[in-house]
This record gives sequence, structure tokens and C-alpha cells, in this order.
Amino acid sequence: MVEIFVVLVMLLKLAVLVAVLLMLPIPLTWLERKIAAHIQQRPGPMRVGWHGLLQPLADGIKLLSKEDHIPDAADRFLFTLAPIITLVATLTVFVAIPFGETITVYGTEITLYLTDMNVAVMYVLAIAGIDVFGVIIGGWASNSKYAVLGALRTCAQLISYEIPMGFAVVGVVMLAQSMSLVAIVEAQSELWNIVYQPLGFVVFFIAGLAEAQRIPFDLPEAEGDLGAGYHTEYSGMRFSFFMIGEYLVLILLAALNVVLFFGGWNPLFLPLPPLIWFLLKVAFFVWLFMWFRFTFPRYRYDQLMTIGWKVLLPLSLANILISGVILS
Amino acid sequence: MAMAGKQISRWIGWVFFSDIINGLSLTLSYMFSKTVTEHYPDNEKWVPFERYRGHHFLNTDENGEVKCVGCELCAKICPCDCMEVVPYEDENGNRRPLVFNIDMARCLFCGLCEDACPADAIKLGQHYEFSSENSEALVVGRDALIASPRKAEQGGKVVKAKLTTSNGAPISEQTEDEGYDWWRNIRRS
Repeated sequence: MVEIFVVLVMLLKLAVLVAVLLMLPIPLTWLERKIAAHIQQRPGPMRVGWHGLLQPLADGIKLLSKEDHIPDAADRFLFTLAPIITLVATLTVFVAIPFGETITVYGTEITLYLTDMNVAVMYVLAIAGIDVFGVIIGGWASNSKYAVLGALRTCAQLISYEIPMGFAVVGVVMLAQSMSLVAIVEAQSELWNIVYQPLGFVVFFIAGLAEAQRIPFDLPEAEGDLGAGYHTEYSGMRFSFFMIGEYLVLILLAALNVVLFFGGWNPLFLPLPPLIWFLLKVAFFVWLFMWFRFTFPRYRYDQLMTIGWKVLLPLSLANILISGVILS
Repeated sequence: MAMAGKQISRWIGWVFFSDIINGLSLTLSYMFSKTVTEHYPDNEKWVPFERYRGHHFLNTDENGEVKCVGCELCAKICPCDCMEVVPYEDENGNRRPLVFNIDMARCLFCGLCEDACPADAIKLGQHYEFSSENSEALVVGRDALIASPRKAEQGGKVVKAKLTTSNGAPISEQTEDEGYDWWRNIRRS
């Protein structure tokens, strides 16, 4: 009986998580357009609903009603598969993210995370790496020059930046003596990791921007030179799968930055509930990513590679060395 | 030594991302500054200056009689041949226009008719929202010209307005006389 209850709670948590995550891109597109607009002294979407709040819904209806076009020369099976891989891979990562501590509902303790894996850090980095396959397969299956070039660039970029990203996390793991994200957050209850690992944070943040393919590292979708990059040939709902996937990676990176360096659900000044603190921090990082997007121009391809291999990789290795020396 | 100091401070700034922070603070200040967009046609509308050349109108004298004497000078000077004037003799023996058609679809709003007019009758006014889905509706007759809006008395401002329709076409209707100079929103450094 108890086991069934546990499974039910688990399924319920999963359903809520997936529902929330799939709905989140709706306000986020609105927020992104508003931030873009206000940085450029425009009001942004204003006409659909109060201050354009319903604009994403209108866009969604438009995307749903568009023709679902598959090019003749495309590989139909892979073309259909690619957006699903991206979306599923990104959603799967959230299983390991701790959103808060336990809450008590009707006398039962419910944890605000799905699993407390002992190798959560490895899991997150590995599964997040899978969404590269969606991008490559999508670009290759489209059978279009722009899409293939975009996919190749994405491939090179994501693989290069996964290395400094992984190394940047090593410092945090050394501090917490554990790879479990819950343990990492609990280890930060006194002082956040940003104080011990400023260099690690900088490397992780920049590599994260590149992993999320956000400006200034949005070469995979450089509109000017590639059409739209790997999703050039996609339309309708398939395109919106990629879009949703992109926003989920954004949320994921914000969440990872918070969990690894900004103390997860640990409060700063106000004694708000842990979940609220976590969401506030994630919201701040999402805002920060959007703010970056409309401030900086795009890097050139060789600059991208230089930053990845000649700057971030040595820095992340140095970070491990320094952390090791100080800890021992 | 001073040069070396400069170099060192530049390196320190580079290490702590000083130029990136400069850029971010600039965009942040813009993010929370006032937007400059004119909310046309929903909430605001531009009232053009007096010199603006918009939709034509025919002036009337104090008795409400049209000033035009039907001399057809405007039709002759019109570079795109968009005017048609047919004069007649009214009950007082004055020469007046029987037909006064302007094809707005062909007019280029040069204002030569205004210059040519000896009776100060035809003018180009402030009205600029007269788009239409068929070009025949753009041929405007005498009575419509007499009724159309005059030149703006105090132009060059953004006033409150609301979106309505007139004859099936959407227009922005001015609701208040008071307005502000749009250029005050523009930030100059």
C-alpha cells in the first residue's frame, strides 16, 4: 500500500514538473520580447491582452495552424525524430534538479525533487549532451546546406564547451565531496560556492551560455549567415519543439548555476520558503541570460573556438588545481 | 611608468570584465528608461504641423459658400492630372465648381494646386488617414472636400486618441486637444 502511494506521489510530481516545464516557454517568450523591446526603448508586444501578455498564445495558435512541411529530399524518419530527441533529452535532465527541500502535506513528507541520484552531476552533463544529437540529426536529415552547416557548427561548439563546463563543476564536487546535487546544495547552507569558486562560476557561466546557444555564442543560428541554422527547414509544431527545447535549456542552465554556485534553495536574507527562493534565483538568471542576449554581438567562429580551447579550458584546469591545493 | 600603469589597469579591467560590465550597465539603464514609441493608432496620434500637406479641403467664406471660382488653374497645374473641375453659374451669377473631383490615389501631395489657386480655396490639410481597399473610393467629390479637416492650428504634437472605424476603414480618432512634443522622449547624450 505504502509503495503504491510513493509511486503515485512520484508520478504526480513528474506530471506537474513536465506540465510546468512545457508551459514555461509561453511566459518566457513574452518576457524575452519585452526585455528586448525595453532595451531598445520600445514597448514590445502591446496589443494582444494586457501589455501583450496573450501574444505567445496567439503565436502558438499560429504555429499550430501552420503547414507541417517536410522537404522532399529530407529523411522523413530522422526529420521527425530530431525535435523529439531534443525535447525529451532536455526534459529528462530536470529529473535530477532539486527544486527545494522536503515539504509536509497532510503528514507525509514530499521531497521537491524527483530523485536524489548519487551521480547527479554526471547525469546532468551526460543527458544534456544528448540534445546535441537532436540538433545534428535535425540538420543532417533536412538535407539543406544551411541546416547542415548550422548543425556542424552546433556540434563543434557544444562538444568544445562541454569540456570546460564539466571541469568547472569538478571544483564544486570537490567542495561538497559528493556528486549528488542535493548534497551539493546542502553543503552550501553556510556560504555559497560562488565565494569559494568565483573562477569556476565564470567558466561555468560562459560555457553555459555557449551550451544554450545564446548570444554571444549563438553561432548555430546566426541568422545573418545561416538562415536559421539547424532548424531552417522546420515549420509549425516541429519548429516550436526546438524552440521549447531551447527555452528549457535556458531554464536548465539557470537552475544549474543556482544549484552549483548560488546555494540552491538556501535563503539569502528573507526567510521565504525554499522553493520560492530557488525560483527567484532561477528567474534572476533567466533574466540575466536575456539581458546578455540584447547587449552583446555575436562572436566570430574562430573567436568562439579560441575562447573555448585557449581560455576556458586552461582556466577550468587551473581552477581544479587551485581548489585541490587549497582543500588538501 | 605612466604608460605601464595604464597598461596594467587595462589588464586588470580585462580580467574583471570591465568592458562587459560597462555594456551591461548601459543596456540596463535603457531597460528601465521610458520607451519612445508613439502608441499609434491605439492610444496616441500625431497631429502634423501647419505646413503639412495631407488630404485636400475646399475653403468656405463666412457665409458658408465655397470660395472656389472654378477657374481650373489647379487642374491645369496638377502634375499628375488628378483633378477634374467643371464650373457652372449659380443663382447669384457667380462662377462656382459644379464638379470638383480629386483622385487621391494619383495625387502626389505636391501642393502646386494650393499655390496656383487665386481664390485661396483649395488647401492641403492635416488629415492623413484615408486608406481604402478600392481606388474608386479615393476619388473625393466637392462636398466631401468642403467637409474634410482644415490645417492644424497647433500642430506638431502627439495627442491622446482611440482606435475606431469610419466608413468601414480603421482610423485613429483624436480624443484630446492637449498633446506633447514627441521629441522630448529622445535621449541625447
